[in-house]
Amino acid sequence: MEQIDQRELLALEQYLKQYGQQAEIFASQLELLENGRMEALAAIEALKGLQESGDGTVLLQVGGGASVRAKILDPQNVLINIGADVIVERPGSEAVGFLEGRITEMEASEKKVAETLDRLRAQMNEIAKRIEMGYQQAVSAEQAGIPPSRPAKEADEE
Amino acid sequence: MFAGLKERLQAARARIGSTIGTVIATPAPAADNAAVPPTRQPAAEPAQEPAQPGSPAPVTLADKFRTFIIDRELIISEKELADVLSELEMTLIESDVALPVTDAIMAHVKKNLVGKHRKIGQSVDNLVVTTLRGALLDVLGREFDLLSYIRNHERPVKILFTGVNGTGKTTTVAKVGSFLKKQGLSVVIGAGDTYRAGAIEQIEVHAERIGIKIIQHQQGADPSAVLFDTVQYATAHKMDVVLADTAGRFHTKANLMSQLDKIRRVMKPDLVIYVDEAVAGNDAVVRAAEFDRTVGADAIVLTKADMDSRGGAAISIAHTIGKPLVFLGTGQAYDDIVPFSPKAVVDELLGDA
Repeated sequence: MEQIDQRELLALEQYLKQYGQQAEIFASQLELLENGRMEALAAIEALKGLQESGDGTVLLQVGGGASVRAKILDPQNVLINIGADVIVERPGSEAVGFLEGRITEMEASEKKVAETLDRLRAQMNEIAKRIEMGYQQAVSAEQAGIPPSRPAKEADEE
Repeated sequence: MFAGLKERLQAARARIGSTIGTVIATPAPAADNAAVPPTRQPAAEPAQEPAQPGSPAPVTLADKFRTFIIDRELIISEKELADVLSELEMTLIESDVALPVTDAIMAHVKKNLVGKHRKIGQSVDNLVVTTLRGALLDVLGREFDLLSYIRNHERPVKILFTGVNGTGKTTTVAKVGSFLKKQGLSVVIGAGDTYRAGAIEQIEVHAERIGIKIIQHQQGADPSAVLFDTVQYATAHKMDVVLADTAGRFHTKANLMSQLDKIRRVMKPDLVIYVDEAVAGNDAVVRAAEFDRTVGADAIVLTKADMDSRGGAAISIAHTIGKPLVFLGTGQAYDDIVPFSPKAVVDELLGDA
């Protein structure tokens, strides 16, 4: 079995920490994308509901579980942020189409982020396994009364 | 990279080409001929066109907004292109291209297409692509060659990296270090992010993996002192480049911004590079503009470009703040950093799918 020296163990622990930090960033990015996608889905559902509501009366949630009946002045048209903070007025069906396009985009981005995250986690697993192996070797060596292995360079210098 | 923008631009290119193609294919109708002033007869009837040397026909508004085929040339009216230009404008905005940048692109496209005298037989697609290419190159600005800058500058060249939190600044410092080392330059990294827990260890691991010397102090130490020591080390060892990492900060945090001012006074950087992520879209452009206004920046790096489908930030940022984009981060490995070349990006966006 390949021996793992103390210096390598320390480096592996640092790598694990570094990958962990990167994974955290990607996980939060994935969460943001997922939230954005869910928000867009909810908006589509609401817009479709508006189209079907006839007189444009909806329940408007005002927080704390309270709602009021509200009448939408122009249920057929929607003001939508199409990008670069530009808001345009579009017919409801076009706005739904736009949001569906955005959802497709977000799904593609989510897939890429998820793939990167999977790769990072696989690398973290590999590192964790090696660290575990190193610890087991150290424990076995200690039980057998053998001094812990040192870096090869230091050993050569003696 | 920028797959969504590429797809949309390809579609816009096809639509504009098709519209102009229709204009060419449509023979000058009789009604049109009747509306044309006598001096602007179609080329098919040259015998009927009396030569009037020295007395050019006045160009009326009606002339401007009509499409004519005269002497094997074509005038494309604004009216003919109104729909497709409007679609192009929407395409750009939907891709998160900032409004002033969209306006600049549209102005260029209109200037080059509307009223364009084009020899019949020349490829329509070529005309459209050339116009779009010119418009994009205009807003992408000049190419910034970091290697040339370093080679033509007094050593060590001191590069300070700034930006908001969590955009990949530390990783970018490592990637740029690896890139410069591979180009044969000697590099030292200053671990100037003494604020974030684990930042020093993170940059230390990077430096060790890419084989670059790092200067570091304890967490919580004065970053100006760390970076001053890094410059001293580089000078003493005749090194080519100092890469200074700093803590992420928002321009609204007064204490962190004054810390950055101190770093600038102490270290006297040759280049201040602002780092943000391409996926932030228009937010990245707004933040870069704010950062440039408050502390200044000489160049920009956009990270996570591989995950950005829209491409709006990459297209807009250089034009918005008037500073060049120097690198795009395209992945997790140290080699996943690409020197930004406007021509290469435009080729990628407008090239055949």
